[in-house]
Amino acid sequence: MLWVDKYRPHTLDKVMVHPQEAQHLKNLIAQGDCPHLLFYGPSGAGKKTLIMALLREMYGPGAEKVKVENKPWKVEAGTRTLEIELTTVASNYHVEFSPSDAGFQDRYVVQEIIKDMAKSRPLDVSGIKGFKVLVLNEVDKLSREAQHSLRRTMEKYSSACRLILCCNSASKVIEAIRSRCLNIRISAPAKEEIVSVLQHVAKKENLQLPMGLAGRIALQSNRNLRAALLSFEACYVQQYPFSENQAVQATDWEQYVAEIANDIVTEQSPKRLFQVRGKLYELLSNCIPPEIILKRLLVELMRKLDSELKREVCHWAAHYEHRMQLGQKAIFHLEAFVAKFMSIYKRFLIATFG
Amino acid sequence: MSAQADIRKWFLKKPDHSKDKNENSTKTSTDEEGTGSKYKKESKFFAGGSAVAKNSTLSAGDKSKLKLEKKSTDIGKRKSEVGVNGAASQDNGTPPKKPRMVIPAGDESKVKVETPRGKQPKESPSKPPSAAKGRGNGKFVIVEDDEDLDYNNFEDNEAKTPSKIPTSSAGRGRGKPPVTPDVKSTPQKPAQTPTSTGRGRGKPSTDPDGDTKPSAGRGRGRGGGGFGGAPWASQGVPPHKGEKDVPQGAEDALAGLTFVISGTLDSLEREEAEVLVKSHGGRITGSVSKKTSYLLCDDDIGGLKSRRAKELGVKFLTEDELFEMIKASKPKATTSKTVDSNRAPSTKGTAAGVSVAKPSKPETKMKALPPSSKSGRGSGDAWQAWPAKHAPKTTVDIIGNQGIVKQLRDWLQSWEANFGHPVVKGGKGKKRVAASTSTDVKKAVLLSGTPGIGKTTTARLVCKELGYETLEVNASDARGKSDSNVKKGMDGRTANTIKEMVNNESICFTGKGLVHAQKSALIMDEVDGMSGGDRGGVADLIASIKSSRVPIICICNDRYSQKLKSLLNYCLVLNYRKPTKQQMAKRLTQIAKSEGLQVADNTLEEIAERSNGDMRTSLNQLQYMSLRSSALSFGDVHARLVASAKDEAISPFSAAEKLLGFDGRNLRMDQRVDMHMADPDLVPLIVQENYLNYTPSAASKDSTGLMHMDRAAHAAMSIAEGDIVNGQIRRRNQWQLSQTSAFLASIIPAALMQGQRKEFEGGRYNFNRFPAWLGKQSNYKKKVRLLEDVHIHLLASRICEPTRESIRLNYVPVLLLHITHSLRHLPKDEAVDHVVNLMNEYSLTQEDYETLLEVSEFKGHPDPLEGIQAAVKSALTRTYKSRIQERVVRSADLLPPLALPGPKKAIKKPKRLVLETEEAGLESEEIKDAEVLLSDQEDEGDEENEGGENIESLLSSYGTAKVSLDRGDEAKVTKGRGAAGKSKASDSKTPAKTPRKNKQETSKATPSSAKRRK
Repeated sequence: MLWVDKYRPHTLDKVMVHPQEAQHLKNLIAQGDCPHLLFYGPSGAGKKTLIMALLREMYGPGAEKVKVENKPWKVEAGTRTLEIELTTVASNYHVEFSPSDAGFQDRYVVQEIIKDMAKSRPLDVSGIKGFKVLVLNEVDKLSREAQHSLRRTMEKYSSACRLILCCNSASKVIEAIRSRCLNIRISAPAKEEIVSVLQHVAKKENLQLPMGLAGRIALQSNRNLRAALLSFEACYVQQYPFSENQAVQATDWEQYVAEIANDIVTEQSPKRLFQVRGKLYELLSNCIPPEIILKRLLVELMRKLDSELKREVCHWAAHYEHRMQLGQKAIFHLEAFVAKFMSIYKRFLIATFG
Repeated sequence: MSAQADIRKWFLKKPDHSKDKNENSTKTSTDEEGTGSKYKKESKFFAGGSAVAKNSTLSAGDKSKLKLEKKSTDIGKRKSEVGVNGAASQDNGTPPKKPRMVIPAGDESKVKVETPRGKQPKESPSKPPSAAKGRGNGKFVIVEDDEDLDYNNFEDNEAKTPSKIPTSSAGRGRGKPPVTPDVKSTPQKPAQTPTSTGRGRGKPSTDPDGDTKPSAGRGRGRGGGGFGGAPWASQGVPPHKGEKDVPQGAEDALAGLTFVISGTLDSLEREEAEVLVKSHGGRITGSVSKKTSYLLCDDDIGGLKSRRAKELGVKFLTEDELFEMIKASKPKATTSKTVDSNRAPSTKGTAAGVSVAKPSKPETKMKALPPSSKSGRGSGDAWQAWPAKHAPKTTVDIIGNQGIVKQLRDWLQSWEANFGHPVVKGGKGKKRVAASTSTDVKKAVLLSGTPGIGKTTTARLVCKELGYETLEVNASDARGKSDSNVKKGMDGRTANTIKEMVNNESICFTGKGLVHAQKSALIMDEVDGMSGGDRGGVADLIASIKSSRVPIICICNDRYSQKLKSLLNYCLVLNYRKPTKQQMAKRLTQIAKSEGLQVADNTLEEIAERSNGDMRTSLNQLQYMSLRSSALSFGDVHARLVASAKDEAISPFSAAEKLLGFDGRNLRMDQRVDMHMADPDLVPLIVQENYLNYTPSAASKDSTGLMHMDRAAHAAMSIAEGDIVNGQIRRRNQWQLSQTSAFLASIIPAALMQGQRKEFEGGRYNFNRFPAWLGKQSNYKKKVRLLEDVHIHLLASRICEPTRESIRLNYVPVLLLHITHSLRHLPKDEAVDHVVNLMNEYSLTQEDYETLLEVSEFKGHPDPLEGIQAAVKSALTRTYKSRIQERVVRSADLLPPLALPGPKKAIKKPKRLVLETEEAGLESEEIKDAEVLLSDQEDEGDEENEGGENIESLLSSYGTAKVSLDRGDEAKVTKGRGAAGKSKASDSKTPAKTPRKNKQETSKATPSSAKRRK
């Protein structure tokens, strides 16, 4: 088992990174009821861990006995019948899934499936709460329409179920939903927190982790605890005992993005742009999300840039990242950013070096 | 343009020269010599006419000749006038005349034709020049500025009115060229050189003969050389494509000249050059012959054409020179009226031998024509479509395909003999079968060919001529399978009429009693159109053929149509070929004549060519155009045909090509939008895929490439915006934005990048690529599905709940590192043990393992499994399979095959392996054998191939007791529907046949995941 999973805290008491929030949550459900919750924060901050721990707190270990189902739902949408395949993780007490999996049909998921689930009250065996919990992941990826349908559901069926929403960015969740939930922000752990977690794991594993290495792992993880733990393990796999100045290996896709950045900076021409397009396609078809690519690419480019260009490049990166959200074909926007960068950089080079 | 400048210089210099010449005592001779030497020069260059050269040594011409030669050496052989001109002007003051007057090869040949009239071969060459002179009286000037064109012109003039030459030619000559200085000088010449004028005038008398010949020669040239469809697909792109202004000259600028195009021209595409030449009255042929006037080529690649041209003494002409010729004729365009009237008849007269009325009075001609039988029919009566009006009246009139006509006629004639005998009752079947099988004569005939080439007409005419009465059934009639109940057929169902007709003999009652009536035949038109409503039509037709008592002629467009496959066996198939351009033009000429339409021959050919062998279309086009004016010029016709061609569906590729190519800038905005709308999905993708390959013409001068890059960035931005707009259109049905999307996604990027295309990597065709996005997208989707499987399995492991994103970003690299690292560095058993543990912990299957690998493949990066021994890999699979039972399973599709209680379902898949295992329940030894066999195979085969191992371990993992599990049960499990679930679903999902054995295995283990992998 990977360390990241092995040392995942299962109860609110053991939570290391956001003990404050954990305590609050514990108090919240002490009365035996809870409002709808919206967890938001960057990935690798511990949202999911907290949610799972919360469920366990509410329902006991039974909440961890989940089964996974991947089944098609038949949904009546006007005149036709849609078949939507959804993967649900369900215990006796809760159901968890990502409604945005249904893509542009997510509205029907919310209108039909969630409503359906929310309607039925769980069988009240001894000592079980009178409501069940729906955990919805990636709410920020839901379309507007779906979110609007969701808000009605939240009110209407609140007697029988509670929703726990989980997303990265609360700004993409409509105001109406946010106001119906208790918003819980899970911030990215500070570098020191990550280091302490790494040391904790190292101690449990009986490893000697040099502080310098831990620091660098934490730094490179970009305050993502999951990434930090995984790259810590990667370091361990690659070389143990650790040395103080051991290199923290970037993941495969990070290396690839770095290569692209290098390509862009060494030559700016349509031909090179074409080659870069090919590499971007590689990343995209390997399921690296385009936003991540753009962000990473910007970081890599920033390292190589003169400071006078940084502002402009950032501006365009933001511009195209925004466009990408509005558009459909991510590659167009990535390419447009690269082309823009090349144009700016080339002009800069010519102006500077002639 | 430098060439223009040259010309101007020449205009300036010209008078001086003539003065110089005039100063010479032997003016006439000079002039003659001048021209003569020109001829000589030409002949030297091209025909190697040494006789002429000798002749020219007479007089003052010598000097110039020498210079000429010098020049010629400078310039190189193939350079013709312009080159010479240029050189001459550089030499400043070098003899202008000679270089000037370049006589087209065609003329030369004419000259040669004339020779018989001369006494000696030596003299003869000199004569024609003088003849030219004579004519040139009026013209000479023009001869100087645009040599051949005018040469032709006045020949035309002469051809028309030989007797009146002095007046008419002069008048015209003056009318045409406003090249005043020359005009002035010319009148002088006759005066100064009485002899020459004398000759000139004398010429007219000789001219009639002399002229008719050349014109005849020209006519031949035209007739013979009409075939213009030279293969030019292999040609490269002109190096200066679209960078030159194409001149507009008089319509007859190149009249009577025959061109052959070779190699790549400087700025024009082959097709453009053809249009240019044709629209100026010239003629394009495919290969060099004696009648070829010029070989148009910019780059002497020394191919077949140029070799042959050199042999035959055909002149070479560069594109610039061609432009010069055309430009020089420009003045005439102003007086195009006269030119037209002059030219049209003359060309006609020469080319097709059509009698032509005086140019000035086309009306009278039209009136004069009606007497001829054809036009008698045509003119003035009720309006009738030309295709019908001028349809062939006899089989002889049918254009082309006479062989087929004959075959059809033979077949029909012999039909009676083969099948015609009334069938005796009872003997029905046998007799017919015997007849048809013995001689291999088909009972029906199938005519196939493209529309408008006369299939139906042939069928009708042949039947008519052989005395058959025809019944025509086409797509407008219902032709479904006839009802067997005859009564039902009585109320107007055609199919039954057919049945009746083919089954009954027509009789008629005369006074003498029953007599066999006229023979009848059935024409089944448009049989390939039998579809939809005509259910069973073809089968019924075949049945009809079998029992028919009348000949059946079937007609179709596409004989390879799937529907007609069965019909082909019963029919004699006659395949029509498209008539040639010439054949069609000939017929069109007749028709145009009978309708009183003035059309040049090459114009008709153009119509014929554009219609692509469809006579009906070309007649329709012709009729339509005749409504506008009674005289059609090439330009009109071409413009119209091109315009109508645009209405035809255009492929997304050619649309993108047009937008991005040089021509793009000449398109109007609405045309560009149309281009985009050719396929609003694909065109933007093609543009996006290829825009980087174009070098914008505007940025070609920017050496830094910055402008190019800027434009590319701008184009990329526009494309990205187009994507957003497109998203709005699709998501919110904002179709009013589609124009905006056209601009953003296609037009703006294309306009920014318009220019020359070049391929980045060598060895690839320089054509627009198919958009890679589509392939990448489906690849992406496939990997998403695979990752989703991994996701589910990870969730099912209960030890982590990552999002899909974090799986790919964080988990996959580390999991893979774990696996590969331990496989690479640890001892085999330990490594395998470690990996299988890990996989089992995370509920990962064999496919997930492959997914991990697949998803982390990057082009140019080493394979993650590199350096791992095959033995280790196969050990891994084996161990994994053997420990499959250990896995904790919480996801349905992860269930290992277990024997579940429940009714057995019959196995629907014909799967070898499955069947084997089934049997194995009874005879486990057999399975052992199979196992050994399989593993043997695997050892021999590719070590990487884990298929054999899969099977082996699979087989071993199956207890004999467990094998009884069948697909249906398993499917129930996977779908989580309980034992009562439908097995149908899973059956349909598992692939019917799996090429590889390990595939079989995987699909068995996890049907749903196997489906995804597909």
